[in-house]
Amino acid sequence: MINDWTAVAAAGTDPRRLARVVARAVADRRGLESAWRTARRAGRSGSEAIGDVLAAPVLVDAGADDVAKSWAAAGVRVALAGDPSMPTRLERHDVVPPWLAVRGDLGTQRRSVAIVGSRSATPYGTGMAAWLAEAAGDAGVRVVSGGAVGIDAAGHQASLERPGGTTVVLGCGHGVAYPRPHATRGGLFDRVLTSGGAVVSELLPTDPARPHRVRSRNRLIAALADAVVVVEGGERSGALITASWAADLGIPVLGVPGDVRATGSAAPHHLLRDGAGVCAGPADLLATVGQGLDPSATTNGDRGADVTGLPDWLRVPLVEAWPRPLPTATLVDGSGRGAGAVLAAVTRAQVGGLVTRDADGIRLCRRP
Amino acid sequence: MTGTQDAPPRLRDLRVVVSDGRILDEATTAPAAEPRHSTTAPVDGDGAPGPSTSRRPAAPVARAGAVALTGLEGQLVHAEAATASGLPQIRIVGLPDAAVREASDRVRLGCQRSGFSLPECKVVVNLAPGGIRKAGPGFDLPVALAVLGAAGHLRPDDLVGVVAVGEVGLDGRLRATAGTLPAAAVARDHGAGLFLVPVEAAPEAALVDGLEVVPVATVREAVAVLSGATERPARPRPPEPVQRHVEDLADVRGQALARRGIEIAAAGGHHVLMMGPPGCGKSMLARRLPGVLPGLTTAEALEVAAVRSIVGAVATDLDLRPPFRSPHHATSTAGLIGGGSGVARPGELSRAHRGVLFLDEVLETPRSTLDALREPLERGEVVLVRSQSRVTYPARVQLVAAANPCPCGHAGASRRPCRCRPDQVARYRGRLSGPLLDRIDLHLELEPVSEDVLVGPSDGEASADVAARVRRARDTAATRWAAADVPADRRLNRDVDAARLRHTVSATAQRRLARAVQTLGWSARTFDRCLRVARTIADLAAADVAGPDHVDEAIAYRLDTGPRPT
Repeated sequence: MINDWTAVAAAGTDPRRLARVVARAVADRRGLESAWRTARRAGRSGSEAIGDVLAAPVLVDAGADDVAKSWAAAGVRVALAGDPSMPTRLERHDVVPPWLAVRGDLGTQRRSVAIVGSRSATPYGTGMAAWLAEAAGDAGVRVVSGGAVGIDAAGHQASLERPGGTTVVLGCGHGVAYPRPHATRGGLFDRVLTSGGAVVSELLPTDPARPHRVRSRNRLIAALADAVVVVEGGERSGALITASWAADLGIPVLGVPGDVRATGSAAPHHLLRDGAGVCAGPADLLATVGQGLDPSATTNGDRGADVTGLPDWLRVPLVEAWPRPLPTATLVDGSGRGAGAVLAAVTRAQVGGLVTRDADGIRLCRRP
Repeated sequence: MTGTQDAPPRLRDLRVVVSDGRILDEATTAPAAEPRHSTTAPVDGDGAPGPSTSRRPAAPVARAGAVALTGLEGQLVHAEAATASGLPQIRIVGLPDAAVREASDRVRLGCQRSGFSLPECKVVVNLAPGGIRKAGPGFDLPVALAVLGAAGHLRPDDLVGVVAVGEVGLDGRLRATAGTLPAAAVARDHGAGLFLVPVEAAPEAALVDGLEVVPVATVREAVAVLSGATERPARPRPPEPVQRHVEDLADVRGQALARRGIEIAAAGGHHVLMMGPPGCGKSMLARRLPGVLPGLTTAEALEVAAVRSIVGAVATDLDLRPPFRSPHHATSTAGLIGGGSGVARPGELSRAHRGVLFLDEVLETPRSTLDALREPLERGEVVLVRSQSRVTYPARVQLVAAANPCPCGHAGASRRPCRCRPDQVARYRGRLSGPLLDRIDLHLELEPVSEDVLVGPSDGEASADVAARVRRARDTAATRWAAADVPADRRLNRDVDAARLRHTVSATAQRRLARAVQTLGWSARTFDRCLRVARTIADLAAADVAGPDHVDEAIAYRLDTGPRPT
């Protein structure tokens, strides 16, 4: 149905051409991928490479129409390589996919930063990611990440409702609910879209998340950003793939120093050893992105949290410990108050959004 | 399958049908009931005593009372014995189970080895009414008494109003059987005159008021006592009430928050979930909870002892400490809530009645098993229906569950890295949600104990001090709920309904709670649970109305159990 194709084609994209490319992908994925690679290696531009892919005769059949229906249902707009809606960064960095399916607004005119890291994050890691993302968002910098749980989610979440907005690059198709807690109705992805961000995928809607696809989308994360920050990750973290793509593409890479004992510090420390920049706070990040700390950013982005509302006995040890959490037992012993009184005060601070509490103890959400 | 032909179906009617069809009153036949058989029974080798016994007047039907237990409840049944033509044997009818059927051999040898000769013909024992199942070796003694009555060693008068329970050994010695205590209660309720029990089980039976308990060691002694040949032994002393030793809370290092949680749990009777890395003291704290809870009243202790008795533990003392049961996480559903074919037996849940049921590694327990606990926890009793029976066991327990935060146990804490994949952790924690966990008011997140605290001096309060505060808080709550016409067995803050609860929490506090629930993204169901805990915290602080501070603390005892988005 050509109507569906018209509905999903992005501005400046020919629906018929799009339909034929997708039909080829549905009929012969390998053939399309190898034709695409060959054309790109031969130095053909995105638009020319699409022409090469379509050199073989293809029939737009029901299978391809299903793809269009699925995209249309999700409100996806699809751009082909070389089309005006395809982000120019991707073309420039030579990682452009045949098509890019986008929900929401990519905000390509903004500076942007990729905040990436492992799924099993420590509170320190998520705290750092959130801090950096908040500051970036306030400074009008787009936060790009992979939409996974852990560091990715902390970054996306913190940049919601901020001027910069956020972009999620999926490792699966738009029709696949992965990762489940984020893809459900009202989950993180919905909130990203309602707050003006974007969710993008280079895959067909039904493509499940597979390791090679998830690794492969990391190149898009790198290419969509002006700087890549690796917050936390293990020895073989996917964040390192993003970082190495960034290095190949000439995009600055930063690492957040972590606890030397924590396994999650392996990836950033590895990068720092290899010459990545140190990211010890939003200032480092924004300086690298080139946004600088404009006046509004200094007041919003890097302003410490207002913790004057906390009682002294709670505030002083928490500020001292930041960004490390303070074991609740230490707080109880140190304050000389009963466990009940301490917990009541912590709850008030938690409801006020000042502190978080987890297995490690209590921690200020933001730099004091 | 029902009674034999020579036994009239009417229970109270002590009449005998003799072979020529006349009906004689038992009292008139009684004096004639001499051990004729020993002299008149044929002893020659033709092996056919039938014709010879059928010609002489039959001995009367002898009856002894017994108790058929179905769970904790029971029914008085009568073992009726009469001689009949046939090969010498004791045949038991009236829905006996295998153990009761085997009584025939035990009784025969037990009586003979005790020096009583049995008729050289068939003795039929009917356990009437024949429609209810009889199980266990406890029927040995009443069967033996009935057989000895039929054999003329006891007069029918001797057995009037006698109820007996006990297993007979081959040498005539008596052994205690499971369920003596509930059996004694049944006997008392049915107006038994004498309750014969093996010496071993006598103290347990003596726990039942208003029952003449006669401890006997052997079949011979039982006959001697009943026939009046020897003096009736003195009434046994019931077991002394004792307080079982429970480890003290003072031994727990650190964990100030968890201690506080345990105190609140004890004061309000709240179910608790403890989550923390291995070795942080979850089971240690749980084991100490019975020492903080108020002691049982004698009536409550009797309920506990009755369940113990059913599962075969002879009570040597009456423990006033709330019981503590910690079934392994691989325990089956039947093992936990009770089960088994025929008549279901009590499970760990009922054995923890009036006490603490500790489920360690609760996330390793299958969901179906946990869900089976749900209804019993709500009702305070467990109903087990089998094809043959429907039994109810008490199950008013305080549930203490413990779990690791992830499969490897170290999630969240940075001291030891967690090796689980995030989706594994999410799935593992996902098991926490669900109907059973919804009933747990108090969630405690335990932090690992630091080395300094481990090697340092004990820093905790003793159980006795905490118990005193718990006692006061419970009394406060009980008085308040009594004034509000809450039934006596629902006067723990855990059980009181939410509407009543709200009247005792200030409006400011409720508004603050509502805001917190919204900010922290919790379900509305959490609201009432937090109110409950806040009420208990206020009781511990002797506050009439629970205020914002109490609510704030209560909120801290909630874990985020859903999938974590970040």
